[in-house]
Amino acid sequence: KYQVQISEARKMSILEYNGAAIIAMGGKDCVGIACDTRLGAQAQTVSCDFRKVFKMNDRTFVGLAGLATDVLTMNNLLKFRQNLYELREERQLTPKVFSNLLSNLLYEKRFGPYFIEPVVAGLDENNKPFLSGMDLIGAPVYTDDFVVSGTATANMYGMCETLYKKDMEPEELFETLSQALLASVDRDALSGWGAVVHIVTKDGVISRELKGRRD
Amino acid sequence: MARRYDSSTTTFSPEGRLHQVEYAIEAINNAGTCVGILAKDGVVMASEKKVTSSLLAPAKSSEKTYKLCQHAACNVAGLTADANILIDQARLRAGRYAYQYCEAIPVEQLVEHVCNYKQAYTQYGGLRPFGVAFLFAGYDTHYGFQLYQSDPSGNYSGWKATVIGANNQAGKSFLKNEYGAKKEDEDEKMKGEEEEKSAEEAPEASMPDVQEALRLAVKVLNKTMDATASSPDKMELFCMTLDDDGECSHKILSADEAQKVIDEIEAETAPSGDS
Repeated sequence: KYQVQISEARKMSILEYNGAAIIAMGGKDCVGIACDTRLGAQAQTVSCDFRKVFKMNDRTFVGLAGLATDVLTMNNLLKFRQNLYELREERQLTPKVFSNLLSNLLYEKRFGPYFIEPVVAGLDENNKPFLSGMDLIGAPVYTDDFVVSGTATANMYGMCETLYKKDMEPEELFETLSQALLASVDRDALSGWGAVVHIVTKDGVISRELKGRRD
Repeated sequence: MARRYDSSTTTFSPEGRLHQVEYAIEAINNAGTCVGILAKDGVVMASEKKVTSSLLAPAKSSEKTYKLCQHAACNVAGLTADANILIDQARLRAGRYAYQYCEAIPVEQLVEHVCNYKQAYTQYGGLRPFGVAFLFAGYDTHYGFQLYQSDPSGNYSGWKATVIGANNQAGKSFLKNEYGAKKEDEDEKMKGEEEEKSAEEAPEASMPDVQEALRLAVKVLNKTMDATASSPDKMELFCMTLDDDGECSHKILSADEAQKVIDEIEAETAPSGDS
């Protein structure tokens, strides 16, 4: 297990150093992905506007939970690879292909991995929702209901399992996603301090910022 | 003769020439012409499309114009297979620079990287040089819009207007007269000698805008191409400008838009005996 000891603090997993909470959920011809906006250095909060969900193109979003430096690096790396793909192939990356690319990039570092656990959410060519989650070495899981990642996964799994329904319309998906995230991060010290929710439909993306408990 | 100094790239001839490099440059003089013109508000590149067969199914959007990154594109004259390698190198370089600095690569640096790559094949390894010449069009915040030309030797230079490929000498001499030439009617009367003075001090004053540059480019192609009648399926017009958000936009003109430019030129040259 990857562990780190920073000054007098107790040993904790490197994936829990900065704190994060990400949920992606599928709806009827739409998909939602939400993240908290806290950035911490263990117990101390450093920023309240550190977003972990990144738009790759109009149909593909990725949420990166884990060590913040790797979150930023992986975002830059993904942008680089996406750019090359679009220049060479003269077409856009679909979420499934993007997810495979990400999985491949992570496995390349099998014995010295990036400390991130990503979540991919998007709409495929038929505007059907695509969701995938991965561990830090790229093992993917594909579902049609929800994927979660971060320091509050136990809370998020419970909330999602309870609140999720199949075939939710965009507005209802937004409500469900928001409630699931907010309730989960309230019981986790390392995540919270604001949230951002993106709802992706074939007509575009609507992004909203949530105000939650600021502790 | 210089026969024994011909075959190896890595050997100078007694006259101090690299024959393989010169032969590579010759290869390009058979390729489809490319014209590049720098304008006040953009860069224009026009190329001759060498359509080999109607059975050909083109996979990519263009055989001549390639996007290298958000703010740079290039036109190719020469061996397409060789060009593909270099274009990929350029795209990688631009991407890696952006990855490292989170900033767009300055155009000249991108051109220099491609040229350094080409130069290696004239000095090491016993491999032949690339049989490609490029026209690079780009924009950066340091020097605005820029146009560069590069050849198989790895040499490059910045231009206001230039031509590569077949009949490039005819194209270049045409441009020498036509580029930045003011229209005869109003300006001669008003400016007089002031114009000659200002032409040296402020060369931007006579820089065309993108629309004028497009027309000029088509005129050059008309001169260099064998065919008497110009049409959109024989030429490809590309222009790079800044859109309202300050982002570079790459545009290959559609057949209708290209036809419009061609028609404008025909209208210009038609009433030649009037004024």
